[in-house]
Amino acid sequence: MFDADPGEELALVVETARKFALEALQPHLREAEAARGVEGSVHEDYHAIGLAGLELPEAHGGAGLSSVARALVNEELGAADAGAALALDPLGPALHPALEMGLALEPLAAHGARPGSRVVLATDLDGQVSVGGDRVTAELPYVPADRADAVVVLAGDTCACVIEGIAIEPLRGAGLRAAGGGRLRADGPAVATVCDPAGAARARARIRLYVASLLLGVLRATCAFSRDYAQQREAFGRPIAHHQALAFLITDMKMAVDGARLLVHEAAWRLEAGLPAEAAAASALAQCVEASRTVGPDGVQILGGHGFMADYPVEKHMREARALGLLFGGFDAAVEEAGRRVCGNDAPLGLVESALS
Amino acid sequence: MDFSVDDAARERIEALRAFGREHVRPAGLEADREGRPIPVGHAYFDAAMQHGYGRTRWGREDADAGASNTRMALLLAEEFAYWDRGVMIANPGPSLPEQSVIGMGTDEQKERYLGPFVAPDRPRWACFAMTEPGAGSDAAAIQTRARKDGDGWILNGAKCFIGSASRSDWILVQATLDPTKGRAAQRAFFVEQGTPGLGPFKTEKKMGLKAYESASFSLTDVRVPAANLLGGEARYERKAGFKAAMQTFNAGRPVIAANAVGIGRAALDEAIRFAREHDLLGRDRVRDRIEAMARKVRMARLVCLRAGQLADLRRANIQEASMSKALAATVALESASLGLELLGAAGARGDALIEKLYRDAKAMDIVEGTGQIQRMIIARQLVGLPRN
Ligand SMILES: Cc1cc2nc3c(=O)[nH]c(=O)nc-3n(C[C@H](O)[C@H](O)[C@H](O)COP(=O)(O)OP(=O)(O)OC[C@H]3O[C@@H](n4cnc5c(N)ncnc54)[C@H](O)[C@@H]3O)c2cc1C
Repeated sequence: MFDADPGEELALVVETARKFALEALQPHLREAEAARGVEGSVHEDYHAIGLAGLELPEAHGGAGLSSVARALVNEELGAADAGAALALDPLGPALHPALEMGLALEPLAAHGARPGSRVVLATDLDGQVSVGGDRVTAELPYVPADRADAVVVLAGDTCACVIEGIAIEPLRGAGLRAAGGGRLRADGPAVATVCDPAGAARARARIRLYVASLLLGVLRATCAFSRDYAQQREAFGRPIAHHQALAFLITDMKMAVDGARLLVHEAAWRLEAGLPAEAAAASALAQCVEASRTVGPDGVQILGGHGFMADYPVEKHMREARALGLLFGGFDAAVEEAGRRVCGNDAPLGLVESALS
Repeated sequence: MDFSVDDAARERIEALRAFGREHVRPAGLEADREGRPIPVGHAYFDAAMQHGYGRTRWGREDADAGASNTRMALLLAEEFAYWDRGVMIANPGPSLPEQSVIGMGTDEQKERYLGPFVAPDRPRWACFAMTEPGAGSDAAAIQTRARKDGDGWILNGAKCFIGSASRSDWILVQATLDPTKGRAAQRAFFVEQGTPGLGPFKTEKKMGLKAYESASFSLTDVRVPAANLLGGEARYERKAGFKAAMQTFNAGRPVIAANAVGIGRAALDEAIRFAREHDLLGRDRVRDRIEAMARKVRMARLVCLRAGQLADLRRANIQEASMSKALAATVALESASLGLELLGAAGARGDALIEKLYRDAKAMDIVEGTGQIQRMIIARQLVGLPRN
């Protein structure tokens, strides 16, 4: 029966991720942003505590944990520094097409084991991507990376990996600068190619949850920071949080984030349980992005002029939430996929039916 | 983590679904068409009694079942409201005041007022009257006076929008001993139907939820015996009065939220049905609206079940309960509103179910604490918003 608590084992994983995020990432977020990367020792620590291969099967040296674990961990890391979270995860969402579609994992696992490695994901939702014969070409206006050891491409139902002919031309980036950022061109021989429609659909679901959970973390952080600030800052003789306009705004922000989180967790649970999860994951991302349109800017608004300045993290939250919501097709592609599935002839009428399935 | 619904709940939902399709939806549509509450004596009430409604859970072995399995209760509340939320409230039974009587009533009061609902010979109702023309959200400001008179009490005042009031065997009336002393001076009294000075009752004309009666009435020198004070005087001498209401968890607001989810879901299903029948599912603008409805209704349900889970675990859920109510009420309205856009001008004809759902849904953000009041409750916890 419905139980939204993570359970003891996952609670421990979350606790580990939270501690790491608060100690290793949060205090250095501006430095990481300026340096377009995190320090080598942080990469080492990230690997040492087992976050690098979270979902990689144990046979390949990973922890073999589920989508639910990924969602919970990403929220913690995203709440501290979403850019750093991307920089640290050597495989990132690029793992998911490989995992779900049966691409040979050995070469990727080798990258996953190396601190500082980056495998970048390019999908046809972000730009021009094609897999033709033995060749892969990709041209994306932006990826959150300055360099890539390999690129996994997901084009329609096909996934392939390329390691030669990759070029990333660095860009300033709207946010997520700790991950680097640039324009990606890849044109090289495919190391492996797989076509699997069902696997591709599940991979897209996991990619969306990866982004959605990072985004949730950013939104949670902006809620918490602006709430605490509003209880300290006084105007007209009382804390600004005690003016009803702001009290209700803070309430609505929290409500938006808590609601979106449950959608993310439900979709992740569905993936783990082997239930159809594509529509749920797409909807979860759409809801996170929708929330980010108000929660991000509202976080800045609560701090007034101070919120606009780089002295506080809320302006970074606002930029990064927006940038995350644009990745992998963002809101539009998510709504398109969820809408198609909800309206499809195979979709049962009524949500209880679908919840019961 | 587990987002599944267990077999026991599934079975009960299925049974309720069959009842809803056959009895609830038709009764709700009829009441809406005719613009009046389902009359006493209507065949719907016989069907409801046969289906097990109208009884008290007081004294039953599973008396606490509603509290120990809030999630199940929420799923059922959603399913009933899916078919018609107004009919759900029209159902016979001790309804809103039942929990207060079980929790605070003396043994004699339970026997006298809930006893007839154990195996009722006919549909019977009871109701709770708090709201007044001059005080709704600000419940501490009610003006209905209770004055001690010998071995009884004299009540004077006016109540409004009270569900099923004119057909109730008894009304639990909230009154004050001293309007300057706020909640601490409030008491609840059983006022039996036919007591001199009670009434007349005016059945309000409502925008929606027409299946149940919302009545306004006055109390003019209504005399009730001392035994009619809920909990008895000894209870107040022990100053236990309002402590009971200050629980750390709340299972009531999520029920309203679940009702709202049911309304939102009905609107979603209607929208999909309409779009399918009119071959509109291929259009982006149609699919986008349906996706938004489905997503938000799903989210509201999860928020609601989460509040329910915390209540089941006896964990603090005041924020979650209020969030579920505030969120689900707006989601229900938005869902119906988006659904109407799919119908286009046909939605404005006034004969589509979704148009009725749009009117019904609005009440969900008003009853049992408006959206603003829920936000105040949340903000008290979140940022220490002062009460005044
Ligand atoms: C269909 C229906 C059925 C009902 N059934 C019953 C029943 O069975 N028994 C019963 O006792 N009552 C019943 N009610 C009454 C209901 O509980 C009240 O209408 C509700 O509590 C709101 O009170 P009010 O109408 O006096 O509005 P008001 O309290 O006057 O509120 C007006 C507006 O002001 C806002 N507001 C008030 N205070 C604040 C504040 N401090 N900060 C910000 N905004 C504020 C409110 O949110 C609202 O938007 C029913 C109402 C309806 C519509």
